[in-house]
Amino acid sequence: MKKLLGLALGILTAIGGFLDIGDLVTNGVVGSRFGLTLGWVVLVGVVGICLFAQMSGRVAAVSGRATFEIIRERLGARASMANLGASFIVNLMTLTAEIGGIALSLQLASSISPMLWMPVAAVAVWIVVWRVKFSIMENVTGLLGLTLIVFAVAVFLLHPNWLDLGSQLLGQAPKQSSESPATYWYYAIALFGAAMTPYEVFFFSSGAVEEKWTVKDLAQSRMNVLVGFPLGGILSIAIAACATIVLLPKNIAVTSLSEIALPIAQAGGKIALIIVLLGFVAATFGAALETTLSSGYTLAQYFGWSWGKFRRPARAARFHLTMIIALIIGLAVLATGVDPIAVTEFSVVFSAIALPLTYLPILIVANDPQYMGKFVNGKATNFFGMIYLVIILVASLAAIPLMIVTGAGA
Amino acid sequence: MILSDLIHKKVLDAEGTVVGNLVDVRFVIDGAPGQLLASARLHGIIVSRGTASTFLGYERNSANSPFILAKFLEWRHRGSFLVRWRDIAMIDDAVHLRASFQRLSPNLPQNRS
Amino acid sequence: MSDTDYPEETYAGRVLDADLHLFDRQVLDVDGEPAFAVDDIEISDVPIGLPLDPAAPAPVIESLLSGPVLATRTFGGRPPSSRLERIPWRHVSDIGTALTLGIHSDELDATWTERWVRDRIIGRIPGGRHDPE
Repeated sequence: MKKLLGLALGILTAIGGFLDIGDLVTNGVVGSRFGLTLGWVVLVGVVGICLFAQMSGRVAAVSGRATFEIIRERLGARASMANLGASFIVNLMTLTAEIGGIALSLQLASSISPMLWMPVAAVAVWIVVWRVKFSIMENVTGLLGLTLIVFAVAVFLLHPNWLDLGSQLLGQAPKQSSESPATYWYYAIALFGAAMTPYEVFFFSSGAVEEKWTVKDLAQSRMNVLVGFPLGGILSIAIAACATIVLLPKNIAVTSLSEIALPIAQAGGKIALIIVLLGFVAATFGAALETTLSSGYTLAQYFGWSWGKFRRPARAARFHLTMIIALIIGLAVLATGVDPIAVTEFSVVFSAIALPLTYLPILIVANDPQYMGKFVNGKATNFFGMIYLVIILVASLAAIPLMIVTGAGA
Repeated sequence: MILSDLIHKKVLDAEGTVVGNLVDVRFVIDGAPGQLLASARLHGIIVSRGTASTFLGYERNSANSPFILAKFLEWRHRGSFLVRWRDIAMIDDAVHLRASFQRLSPNLPQNRS
Repeated sequence: MSDTDYPEETYAGRVLDADLHLFDRQVLDVDGEPAFAVDDIEISDVPIGLPLDPAAPAPVIESLLSGPVLATRTFGGRPPSSRLERIPWRHVSDIGTALTLGIHSDELDATWTERWVRDRIIGRIPGGRHDPE
């Protein structure tokens, strides 16, 4: 019974933890402009993140080494320094976007300017990172994030034309949409980057060490990922579907979180709106915690410093200092008045660009018997692993040219 | 002497012809026992004819999957070999081997097939 | 493995390839706490530019290096020998996916930045010396 409860908790946390500001914004934008024609990308992204998270979790549980320790050891000091630079900057962008996202969500709930909410959000994130136990942090934000299921409910309440939605999923462009192929592919990469963000892997593998996973926990972790992430992916598609049903016909562009919440208000009124705002805050707050921790994880693991929330801060001093500095930088960027939604849209594309740097070393170490013993990748995992290596490389290489050609999707 | 100074040096035979690049240094823990672990004695150097860099540990290793990736990385390291320390005549900007030097398999012992 | 069949070597002990098994690995202290990463390795001195005596004993690993040497390994150049952060090889007790030391990380000179940040900043913030709740 206790085991079953633990499993349920893990799965629910994975669903709630799957969505962050990148998924909310990108799915909203894509739904309002392309309908569900990019739904297949979410599917590709979800299978990818399942594969990737499952591999990095297994490596961490079996070898005790987290992702960036592996990257350093495999790529050597010089190449991994370049990797660290790129990963750290992309993570910092995502962190900035999440803090901005918390402030925007709280603005929707309170109508107090987001500029005032940003420092509050950053301090709140810091306090949790400083004092709260890892498992409590993960479970609370994950479970509150589950309120985003309201998007799936709203799809039904909005009584859509199911035939239209279905044919869009199969690639039939909606009548109202007139986007160029380059823009379509640019957003395909953005959506892919939103589903497969590198920080999720840094966080997932370091979390396995934080929670002292061993080989015995592998079955449960696999279940969490393989059930939780796809359900999270369904919520992603539900967000896009809501935007497709309500925003696309009226030509409403998504420029803030309020447009993303609009279909919910239309479908379920005030109560639904309160629930979705709670979900926004939980999802962005949870992801802000994960990205803040990831900034500490990546740097500490590269340099070999002591790290981990399970230690008291004084026993992982440079790790905690890194996170404080990362939060200050994020706040400083937001203080310039930059639009958090714009930061989000760039961060998901840069995530896709940086992805091969994290993916390849993990794929290789997951096959190395010196690390993994008998827990090396099976044939099926490697088959999909190689297919994803190609997809990830293509997305990474195509991102910048497409960004230039489309003017960043404008 | 610092090891990263040694790694990447060119390796020349007695006539001064380049035979490859020094890509790694092999130690054997069989020396005098220290406090916790016996001392690590320099056994030899790994010389690669191809690329100057080791890459991701595929060479000398039993890791052989994913298959295509392993094949590619093996190809980049085709023909690397081990030279014993006593076959090294002199080290300056390059590593000079003795005329009698012997090429040995670079494979790690547990991975012999 | 290679396209030419060279004779196999025999070894009298555990074999370690520096780049493959030691460089860039995490080093844990006696309590399993991360201490530093292996940024470079110092071996006993070898005469440079002089003929080597085939009968002389082979060099051994003297110390693991950490700290400033990483910057020079990455960007080129060389810190003066006096500025190298050395961790004597005799402190190493085990080598696996990480290296393990037989002493506590606070006993190492190489981890002074950790202690500096702890004593000057992190340890002074309320709650910094307590377990998370």
